[in-house]
Amino acid sequence: MECVVQGIIETQHVEALEILLQGLCGVQRERLRIHEICLKSGQHLGTVASEVRLLCDLEQAEPSWTVKHVGGAMRGAGAEQISVLVRSMVESKTSKNALRMFYTLGYKLDHELLRVGFSFNFHRGAQITVTVSSINKMLKLHATDEAVPVTPGIQMVEVTAPATAETYTEVAAAVSSFCEYLAPLLHLSKPGISTGVVPTAAAAAASLMSDGGSTTL
Amino acid sequence: MEGEGGGEGLNQAVQQQLNLKQVKTRAISLFKAISRILEDFEAYGRTNSTPKWQDILGQYSMVNLELFNIVDDIKKVSKAFVVHPKNVNAENATILPVMLSSKLLPEMETDDTAKRDQLLLGMQNLPIGMQMEKLKARLDLISAACEGAEKVLADTRKAYCFGTRQGPAIAPTLDKGQAAKIQEQENLLRSAVNAGDGLRIPGDQRHITPAQPPLHLADALPVIVNDPTAQPQLSSNTMPAQNSLLQTSSASQLLGRSAASPSGATSTTSFDNTTASPIPYANSPRSSTNMMNTPSPQPQTTQQQPQVQQQQRQKLMQLPKQQQQHHQILAQQQQFRQSAMQGLGQLHGQHQMQFSQPLGHQQFQGRQLPSGHVQHGIGQSQLNQGNQMTRLSQFSGPANSALFSAAQTTPNTQMIPNISGTLPSQSLLQRTQFGLSGNNPQRSHPSQMLSDQMFNMGGGNPGGMMPIQQQQQHGSQAFGSMASNAQNLQSGLVTLQNTQQNHPNFSQQRQQNLQ
Repeated sequence: MECVVQGIIETQHVEALEILLQGLCGVQRERLRIHEICLKSGQHLGTVASEVRLLCDLEQAEPSWTVKHVGGAMRGAGAEQISVLVRSMVESKTSKNALRMFYTLGYKLDHELLRVGFSFNFHRGAQITVTVSSINKMLKLHATDEAVPVTPGIQMVEVTAPATAETYTEVAAAVSSFCEYLAPLLHLSKPGISTGVVPTAAAAAASLMSDGGSTTL
Repeated sequence: MEGEGGGEGLNQAVQQQLNLKQVKTRAISLFKAISRILEDFEAYGRTNSTPKWQDILGQYSMVNLELFNIVDDIKKVSKAFVVHPKNVNAENATILPVMLSSKLLPEMETDDTAKRDQLLLGMQNLPIGMQMEKLKARLDLISAACEGAEKVLADTRKAYCFGTRQGPAIAPTLDKGQAAKIQEQENLLRSAVNAGDGLRIPGDQRHITPAQPPLHLADALPVIVNDPTAQPQLSSNTMPAQNSLLQTSSASQLLGRSAASPSGATSTTSFDNTTASPIPYANSPRSSTNMMNTPSPQPQTTQQQPQVQQQQRQKLMQLPKQQQQHHQILAQQQQFRQSAMQGLGQLHGQHQMQFSQPLGHQQFQGRQLPSGHVQHGIGQSQLNQGNQMTRLSQFSGPANSALFSAAQTTPNTQMIPNISGTLPSQSLLQRTQFGLSGNNPQRSHPSQMLSDQMFNMGGGNPGGMMPIQQQQQHGSQAFGSMASNAQNLQSGLVTLQNTQQNHPNFSQQRQQNLQ
């Protein structure tokens, strides 16, 4: 189970966001380059389609594979009142043979994408991961070197934190309070709810960049 | 001069409608009346004299009525010139006094004067037309400098942004079109990440990639020459549409970027508007200075109506005094009637004794003794009569003429207070006080001797009518002249009563003379 919120930011302000996150998180950023393969099961494997994502981290010296299953989101009045999305999620490290195994099981390739950006991992009330990445599309199958951005001028920002059935309320509160600090630059909301860009993003970015300038001096 | 100028500034119709001149004149008259009353009070305090409460109350009533009328008229005037702020809150509470003030604050006036002098430096001798032309030229130069500065700032901003970010300039404000495009892109991005929309590849391109897979997938892919799983994807027809949508969104993104340029110009325009907004605020205290002209025209009317006010005031002052005079005359008539009745209804001896007892006047008793003595000796009385006649002739000439001339020269205003002084004399205590205080002057005064001689002669020769008539004429003159002096009048009244009581005929003749 995890708590997740998403938002968008213009590419021109990503540098300012990095400065802000550096100050808030207090840890070094991690470069991000993940080849994400989405596999779906066919009708012959059951009455309900199943979806599995294979994540291959290309920033490592040796490619690192992770299998991830994202389930349904929590529903109800309580879920509506929470400003973050609480959904079931299971992931596990795996070897490079996972793709062949799922193909053998009968799963078929649905779509694939390449994430390029940076992320921060820190603990603030909960173990929070902030990911800022450009979502790229591959024009040819598995041609990661030839990927192009889906939206050249806009990047995706995701804030996720793992949770359990007993602790999701505290984790949700921690994620919400952290998102408040990012309000000058971007607004975060549940997946599926759009927020647009922040009118004050330009001014906030300018002030952050000027701080960067003073830091350089 | 300033008042007249202000009067000309105001609308004539407004002045006539509000009747400002009359209100101002009446207010000034009221102020003067109150000042005079205060001076009177100070005079009372200095001289320790008893104030005339009846007059003071009358003046107070007049002042109160006039004040009420003026306040009522000022309410009408206020309706046109008074401003009531209705929505007062924390934001504008501090600025309201300045906005509502009828003139600039002292420091604001000082700054305004200094700036005006600085602006007109070197041009005060020129005519107004040339001054205006020079000021316009100066304003044009300033506006050109401002425009140049704005251009330099815009260019510097663009260069700075372009240089530092290596990208398009920042768009501080977003228009609706750009916001809509961003919205569309956000939806596209979110659906791609969460649902994979727009990320699927058409089936026809799948055959090429297996030949050269990436390094991280070289060992991961299964080794199958035939791809039977790829064939079902061929039936999908939605891929070309998504590709076209992607291309369209890319084109719209480019258009959005080009649209950012006019938004920069828009921000410049908004800056100009922001700069202009303080101007109306700065003019607010100055525009309110027009109200300074409102009270100015009132002084003009001061010179026109003060005479009328004074005349009215004189009339008001005269009325109470006339009433007082009338009241005094009535009192005197009553006094004479009472004395006549007493004279007719009682014997001479008994009445004489009763008259002396209530007064308790020693001098009066002293007069009784010579009267008794004269009655007993007839021969001596004749000698005394001759001596008295000589003495009377000696005093009647200069004394009567002097008193008579003094009475004629006395102004009427002095008569009135003397008459008012006789009002307290109605009471016996007052009469006794006046008698006691007049002892010394009465003894030495010629009029007193005249009355004594009349008394003695009347008592000595009741039968001789001719000499008595002559004496009566002299007495009437003496009484008339004594009216100018309150104390003498008091003593005259006492003697008059005594004479009337002794001889009823005298009282009848005396009344006729008075009438």
